[in-house]
Amino acid sequence: MDITETKHDQYSVFKLNGRLDSNTAMGFEQKLFDCIENGTQRLILDFEELDYISSAGLRVILKATKSLKGADGKLVLCEMQDYVKEVFEISGFDSFLPIEATLDDAVKSV
Amino acid sequence: MGSISFALKNNLTELDALCEHVTSFCKSSGVSKRQTFEINLALDELFTNIISHGFTDGNEHHVHIHCVDEDGVLKITIEDDGVPFNPTDAPHPNLKCAFNDREIGGLGIHLIRSYMDRIEYRRENRKNVLTLTKTI
Repeated sequence: MDITETKHDQYSVFKLNGRLDSNTAMGFEQKLFDCIENGTQRLILDFEELDYISSAGLRVILKATKSLKGADGKLVLCEMQDYVKEVFEISGFDSFLPIEATLDDAVKSV
Repeated sequence: MGSISFALKNNLTELDALCEHVTSFCKSSGVSKRQTFEINLALDELFTNIISHGFTDGNEHHVHIHCVDEDGVLKITIEDDGVPFNPTDAPHPNLKCAFNDREIGGLGIHLIRSYMDRIEYRRENRKNVLTLTKTI
């Protein structure tokens, strides 16, 4: 999986490309928490090119969301394929995670 | 009526090979992209579970997977010689609880139950044998 991080003044965007599974989740977690520890508390995950997510990926997103909530930060997801979105719905994660249709909407809500 | 059999080593790096085998089998059986995703996800969760819980001796083991398409019903068997482990015993996650209490445990098996029609476990000849069924 490739992860591209784009830093903006007030937030960072992580664009994921490929598969987020138990093999790649650890590298993703590292990148996300490096960014949080460096002081960026508003994050957008752009899933336009994410083909696949398993519960290992959900675990990282849950952990980051909990960590950001304590720091008054925010994590917003966007541009999901419908079958990726379904994984979030089945898991009940859509009840507490902001999921926006487009990157523009995510930028507005982050 | 196609079928495929393959073996994976007890290492998470084998997830890519698992995905390749399953995707090519699904393609040759005419399974939709969405259902291919669902089948891949179920097998990934099971394989990851087996690798995480199954082997304590530090030796190389193999997980054997067999998929068969029987007139539109996909049957998948997963066999490993790890410690006895029945994933269907996992508690159902509480999906309605407050965000701060949300735990990740049990989500994998919840996803498998959601995407597969049936999941059965048996211990046979000192092996864990799981059978998944899905109408395709």
